[in-house]
Formats: sequence, structure tokens, C-alpha cells
Amino acid sequence: MNATAEQLATDPEEITQAEVDARVDQLVRRTIERNIPGLADLPQTESELEVGTSPKELIYSRDTARLYHYDSMVDEVYRVPILIVMSPVAKGYILDLAKGQSFVEYFLSKGHDVYMLDWHAPRADQSKLGLANYVQDLVGDCIDKVVEDSGEPDVTLVGYCMGGLLSVCYAALNPEGAVKNLACFTTPINSDGMTLHQRWVRSESFDIDLLIDELGNIPTELINASMQALRPLQRNANQLTLLNNVQNDEFVKAHMRFERWAADQIPLPGVLAKDWTNSFLKDNLLVKNELELGGKRVDFSNIRVPFLHVAASFDHIIPEGASKDLINLVQSEDKEEIVVRGGHVSLVAGGNAMYRLWPKLDEWVSERAE
Amino acid sequence: MADKDNLDPMQLMRDWFIQSEKMWSDAMTEFMADERVAKSSGRFMQEALHTQRMFSESMGQYLSNLNMPSRGDILDLKDRVSQMEETMNAVLIEMRALRKQADAGSAAAPKKKPTRTKKAAKKS
Repeated sequence: MNATAEQLATDPEEITQAEVDARVDQLVRRTIERNIPGLADLPQTESELEVGTSPKELIYSRDTARLYHYDSMVDEVYRVPILIVMSPVAKGYILDLAKGQSFVEYFLSKGHDVYMLDWHAPRADQSKLGLANYVQDLVGDCIDKVVEDSGEPDVTLVGYCMGGLLSVCYAALNPEGAVKNLACFTTPINSDGMTLHQRWVRSESFDIDLLIDELGNIPTELINASMQALRPLQRNANQLTLLNNVQNDEFVKAHMRFERWAADQIPLPGVLAKDWTNSFLKDNLLVKNELELGGKRVDFSNIRVPFLHVAASFDHIIPEGASKDLINLVQSEDKEEIVVRGGHVSLVAGGNAMYRLWPKLDEWVSERAE
Repeated sequence: MADKDNLDPMQLMRDWFIQSEKMWSDAMTEFMADERVAKSSGRFMQEALHTQRMFSESMGQYLSNLNMPSRGDILDLKDRVSQMEETMNAVLIEMRALRKQADAGSAAAPKKKPTRTKKAAKKS
């Protein structure tokens, strides 16, 4: 029996309930720390997880777009800056998860000047932003800002997932623009490779207009549910893997960071969701070079700059079948596709990415960044 | 993954689930991709949207009578916070531009910028 319990038994009036609660809390915590080491340093709040810690400055903001410039880590950088375009449904800190596990930090340390176009949740009045606005206005403006801020006439564009789609559309519509090199990861251009979502939206009972009329912007719960439907039991398996590794502090922290990011998605503006559903999933216009944005046709054969596409062999969100045609449609002389062993997220973040993708991408970009 | 000497039945069960998860998930996804399931899930979504509208309209009235905010009120508040954030962003961006100008005109040594002269290592 501990001292507090003894005191309680002899002189109950001298000890407050708050003190008892604090003591019980301390005992529980100590027991967890002694018996389950993996939980010892478990962050108590989301902010203790410390994601996206590389120092950066906001240099441009318009509608849902936020353009950041990361502080350089070295005295000498490559001439051509890198602009990372994130997916409009995913937060950019997946590429800057933690010190030592950060795509951004890796590229800064290798001498690249890094900018990131991250996205913010749309307000109700921003539900009218569509694919054309995202590509021509927001991505276009951010490229101009990078050119202005860096003082260099060209940029290397790196797009992830739907960010890759925005990047290839921009490059196809603006072949004379500032894009010097283009690298895309898991970029969806052929909805025939996304069977489940295609069947859902092609069903006669699916009404995207009703959805937008009722909700305005598409909430994250719906986006999350549609992604989880692609592999319904994966989250359960992840939880069990966590239980198997609960004694490993680093594993627990990394797992919590990934979980936080996976649950921290961004709502999609109504019109962008409609464009995605109708033009891409239903009519599959991109792969046919028939999509029109702002009155101009998106023709991938206009892309002539050095091009790299990276796909993941176990990607269930954007399967290889949804992105593999891109390399053939792009008409660059200098083009390459690599398929890395991994999933949609482990392609860009985590141990797999650190040893496979990042060095390869650094090599590819460096050779073209002078 | 359980080690060879570990005969914890719970861990063995967890390992079995982790290893067979993809197979089960694929089967479920295939089921959901069936035309009939897609059709009924579309119909379910339509009904859920109608129900949500009816429910939120009636709840909104109750909450208003109780002098409490509805979901719509909270979303309006979120939008106003977002607008304030946008204004703050504009101030931050302006301050950054002014700081750059001040650095350029100042006699004191400005923050050192990296040179853009790095060359890629030659392949051996």
C-alpha cells in the first residue's frame, strides 16, 4: 500500500480528491512506463508529435493555395529551384514528417532550393474552384512566384498523386512556361485502372450534382471512406502491427505520425470534385488527350521537358494501371519511369523511401538543375 | 511477426490477420465493385443526403430554440476564422517582402543567401 492510501485511511479529510486523482494518474503512468516501454514517451497531444518542423516561410497565399519556401541548409545550392506540388486532399507535412524522416530535409541537405505548394481547406465560398482554377490560376501563380522569389527563370516541378496530375496538366498547357524538369509520383491519368471508383461513379444512382448541392465541398470523411474502401482491412492490420511493435518507441512514434496524417485530410472543393468525377473517373478524358481546361486542350504530347514518373508496385490508391500510360503520352526525349517496391505513401515517406526513392530522385534532379 | 519461440496465441492470430489482410481486403473491394452493390450504395448515399438535410433542418430549429449553435453556425465560424487567417497570411507575406527590401538597403550585413552555383557530381 502506498503512502497516499495509508494517509487516506487514517486522515481522510486532509487529502483532496484532486490529490488522489493525481496520485492514481501517476501510478498508472508509472506502471505503463515500466511494463510497456513503447508507450513510455507516447505524445499526449497532437502538437507533441511535431510534424512539418523544417523551417519555412509563407511567400504566397491565394484561395486554397499556400506557397512555402524552406530555409536553405547549405551555403551552395543548385541553380534551379524545386517546387513540390502536393495533392489537394493531402497535407504537405507527409513530406516533412520528422527530423531524419523528411523528404524536404533530405533535399535541402543535398543542396536544393525547395518550395512547396500546400493546400488549405476550402471555405464554402471556394466550392466553385475547379480543375482549371487549380491548374492555370493556382499552380500557375505559384510557379511565377517561385521564379520571382528565386530570381531564376525556370523550376523543377515535382508533383505527388493529384499534385502530379495538376503538374502534368500545367506542363501540357504551358509548354513554353518556366517548367524545366518535371517529376511526378503516382500520377492518375487513366481511370480504367481505378476500377472500384470508376464503377461507383458510373452507376446510374450516383449523382455528383446532388452531393455538391447538399454538401458544397466534399468533406474529408467521405474522401477517407472512399480511400479506405480500396483496402478496407488495412487499418485493422496496421493497428495489429502496432500492437506487435509496441515495445519499439520509434515504431510507435512513426506509426502515430502516419496515422495523424492519414486522418488529417483536406476537403475537396465541390467543382474540383465534380471535374474529377465527370472528366476523369467517368469519361476518362485525360488519357485520351481530350480534357479541356479554360478552353485549351490538355495534350500530353506538348510535354517535351525532361520527365520522370515514379509508380509504386503495391499502390492500391493509384494502381500502376492508372498511371502507366503517362510515360508513353509525354513526348520528352529525356524521359524515364521507375517502379519502386512500396505503397502509395511509403513511396515518398518512411524507411523505404529514404533508401530507394529519395537518392534516385536527388540524382535525377541534380543532373538537370544546373 | 512472431518469433519462432513465441507461442502467444494472440500474437499468432495477429500475424495471421496481418498476412492475410490483403486477400480479405481484395475480396471485399471486388464485392463492392459489383454493379448491383455500386447501384445500391449510390442509392444509399442519396437517401443519406436527404435524411441528413431533413435532420439538420429540424435539429437547427431545436438548437436555435435552445440558444445553441448548429453545425451550420460552426461552419460559418470556421469560414470566418479562415478569412482572418488569410488576412494574417497577407500581412506575413508583406512583412517578408519589407524585410527583404530592408536587408537589401541596409548597411548591416543581410542574412546570407546561398549561392546558386552547385554542380552535380560527375558519374564515374
